[in-house]
Amino acid sequence: MMTVAIEEPQSQITFQGARMTLRKTLVVCSLLLLGLLVLIVLMSLLGSETLPVGGSICAIGTLGRGDCGLTSDQSLILLNIRLPRILLGASVGASLAAAGASYQALLRNPLAEPYLLGISNGAAVGTMLALVFLGSFEWARPLMAFSGALLATLLVYRLAHGRTGATPERLILAGVIVTTFLSSVIVFVTTLMDATRIRSFTFWLLGDLSGTTNELLVIAIVVAVLCTSVLAANARSLNLLMLGERDAFDLGVEVSRVRLIVFVAASLLVGSSVAASGSVGYVGLVVPHLVRLSLGGDNRMTVPAAAISGAVFVVVADTIARTVIAPRELPVGAITAIIGAPLFIYLLKRG
Amino acid sequence: MRLNRTYLIALLLVCVVGCAPRNYQPGNAQLRQFKDEAGRTLSVPARVDRLVSLAPNLTEIVYAIGAGDRLVGNTTYCDYPAQARQVEKIGDTLHPSIERIIALRPQVVLVSTASQLEAFTKQLNDQGIAVYVSDPHDLDGVFHSIASLSELLNQSSAAQTLLTDLRARTNAVENAVKSAAPVAVFYQVSAQPLYTAGRDSFVTDLIRRAGGKSVTAEVPGAWPKFSAESALAARPETIILPTGGSLGDTNSFVADPLKSSPAVTNGRVYKINADHLSRPGPRSITGLEEMARSLHPELYK
Amino acid sequence: MLEARNVTVKYGSRLAVSDVSLRLTPGELTAVVGPNGAGKSTMVRTLNGGLKATAGEIILADKSLHRYSRSQIARRIAVVAQEADLRFPVTVLEFVLGGRFAWAGKGAWGWETAGDLECAQRVLRDTDLENMSKRLLSELSGGERQRAVLARALATEAGNLLLDEPTANLDLAHQAAILALVRSRCDRDRAAALVVTHDMNLASEFADHILLMKDGATLAYGGPAEVLTPKLLGQAFAIEVLVDAHPISGVPRITPVHKALGGL
Repeated sequence: MMTVAIEEPQSQITFQGARMTLRKTLVVCSLLLLGLLVLIVLMSLLGSETLPVGGSICAIGTLGRGDCGLTSDQSLILLNIRLPRILLGASVGASLAAAGASYQALLRNPLAEPYLLGISNGAAVGTMLALVFLGSFEWARPLMAFSGALLATLLVYRLAHGRTGATPERLILAGVIVTTFLSSVIVFVTTLMDATRIRSFTFWLLGDLSGTTNELLVIAIVVAVLCTSVLAANARSLNLLMLGERDAFDLGVEVSRVRLIVFVAASLLVGSSVAASGSVGYVGLVVPHLVRLSLGGDNRMTVPAAAISGAVFVVVADTIARTVIAPRELPVGAITAIIGAPLFIYLLKRG
Repeated sequence: MRLNRTYLIALLLVCVVGCAPRNYQPGNAQLRQFKDEAGRTLSVPARVDRLVSLAPNLTEIVYAIGAGDRLVGNTTYCDYPAQARQVEKIGDTLHPSIERIIALRPQVVLVSTASQLEAFTKQLNDQGIAVYVSDPHDLDGVFHSIASLSELLNQSSAAQTLLTDLRARTNAVENAVKSAAPVAVFYQVSAQPLYTAGRDSFVTDLIRRAGGKSVTAEVPGAWPKFSAESALAARPETIILPTGGSLGDTNSFVADPLKSSPAVTNGRVYKINADHLSRPGPRSITGLEEMARSLHPELYK
Repeated sequence: MLEARNVTVKYGSRLAVSDVSLRLTPGELTAVVGPNGAGKSTMVRTLNGGLKATAGEIILADKSLHRYSRSQIARRIAVVAQEADLRFPVTVLEFVLGGRFAWAGKGAWGWETAGDLECAQRVLRDTDLENMSKRLLSELSGGERQRAVLARALATEAGNLLLDEPTANLDLAHQAAILALVRSRCDRDRAAALVVTHDMNLASEFADHILLMKDGATLAYGGPAEVLTPKLLGQAFAIEVLVDAHPISGVPRITPVHKALGGL
């Protein structure tokens, strides 16, 4: 009797605990989304030019339709330069973090990250080839970037899988090999380019949110939302894959189908980000790690929460990049790497 | 970052190969001491007759002072005057082949600080090849480069004629624009990403002399990446696009944030041959004249 | 009901399983025994479709296995095999709820229903883990973790349980507890179970049928008394064994006889 009396409330708690994950996910993601919206407004108040705060908030609120007392230059700066750039930063951050979280679950490796696995470099090579050979086609850049990312993903995956399956160490080694190989391809092609193009290209390789077109921005946003949703929809499969491919198969996961979906969706995310902004490193590593640390390992939470947090991370990093030495600018990838590289070393040391 | 590392390793390999010991001695025993524009002292033969130039502007100066026939090597960028194309190529300014330079047995190698080849300079020095560093920051610097190189190459009389002419043309421009109000200029090096000419750039001085005021004249650095919104807020009256020449048709469009500027609205966007503006040499004066004509068309009717 | 009909499995040119037949009936526990490399694990993987049979057929409830989808199979056959990879934080409850995956609606974005939670709660109670449901899997002891893996398999509510060495690395008490649990699933819920084990005495005590394999082939298949004979075991393991009756249950009891002890 005693044991029954003690067990009752206990089972009640765990019972609620599990059902709460859905509510918790919804609450956390809504709060994060709200935070992101507030942040977007706040960060659009900062820049190398000073704009009136009240007028700016009013202009963002009415999307420039209302009369907010801004000069035409001020509203151009706010709505045509800052806001698109911040939105691009948000979709790039969301894309890279969602892709990182999914790669980590699928490859069962907390260190898997688009930049470190060479996938970003694959997309960069694709973009570069598009710039050199197909410069006139607006769609060539994201398409070639996507193809490059997908090819690099498959290459790393094949290299990492030995007869005994893929160990985390093999995966990272395969990533290093692919990254350095593709880096040499990039160096080779830039050497063949003329001098002025090299300068813009090397800046762009470190991640740069300033040079994009409206078309690429729209592509980046659409891809970020669609593919993150696809990944989130497969998050329950990822939960099982994260614990072992064979177990997941036994429990009913169609492993090869899910793997293909994740590879394609994540490559699209990385490809559209790189095409729009170059390689912004470490976002896919830092953000999912912090999300798991604070919210647990359920990918139905991790994938959407990491996407929104990734957006926050890159928007903040880019605000630093464009204001700290204004009116000059730093590449945003330099800021994310300064934060990300020490964390990577910490994770590696902790094993 | 990763890219740079790979690049360094490649460079290192080149250096290792290049450093292989050779018993190379300069042919002429009669050496004299000479100070280059960076203030370094070099030992050069009394008459220098084997030269390698690592920058197109230096190649142009060498030809202009009548010493072009002494060039035994130059870069793939060296395309002016036409004879410069026939000279043996040692790579481009950023990726010269040290092996080929050594094989050409030059007595002096001319480099420009813009090409950032400090490590390279040391390599050549170790091989007994003198390195002359040119460092013009403004038009006076260009005149100094011409004078100094002519002294190095014993071409002083030819240089005198050239310098007199160049100075006269410069004065003519400055006198013409003296009374005109300075025009606000944005100098667009590249549109995407947006690069411009900063405080330390040679172009900023050129703009000032041509009766303009670069809106980015106070930005630190020579070629800074510039904020799009600051470019928009600067509202330049004139935009200069260095394009054409060896650049082909790159940089022939105004960057998006500048499209609302008075310069665009009033149709005051000018393309100037990039080679006249990016190569501090004799043709810079042509660049200056073209710049003045663009900034003050009313004075050149 | 799950049945293997003359199954042969080859890895490249190597023969892993050769012409093995086997039938799991509801309410019955079948043990698979044999020396290392006999093809026992291959047999388990083949029975749930993880490996393709080179020849022969797997029949699940009167239909060939390949006519079922992955989740249809997962609702009917549960496997307890290797231990889970624990690089990511997962609670015991989350882990056990993984067993409900195949029951989710289309899209798998589905969240667990109240029914899923009740089921998880029930198997946690059955495996004596309900006090640990909120702990991280990585914090559990080996025995507790093994019970969690079993709990996840039970949470699938599959009628056929395939267990590949579920008692490895467990102490005596936990070994018996796990098999007793599987046995009760057979008796109470009419489950059909297959257990791969190295422990002849556990097999003898809990199994209705025993399949003795060697070099991928069937050496013997029948009741414990038919299979666990000195002659067959000697053939399989190349070692002399003593078989007598268990003093309490009366089932065959196997004792290896080592030469050093002065054999019979």
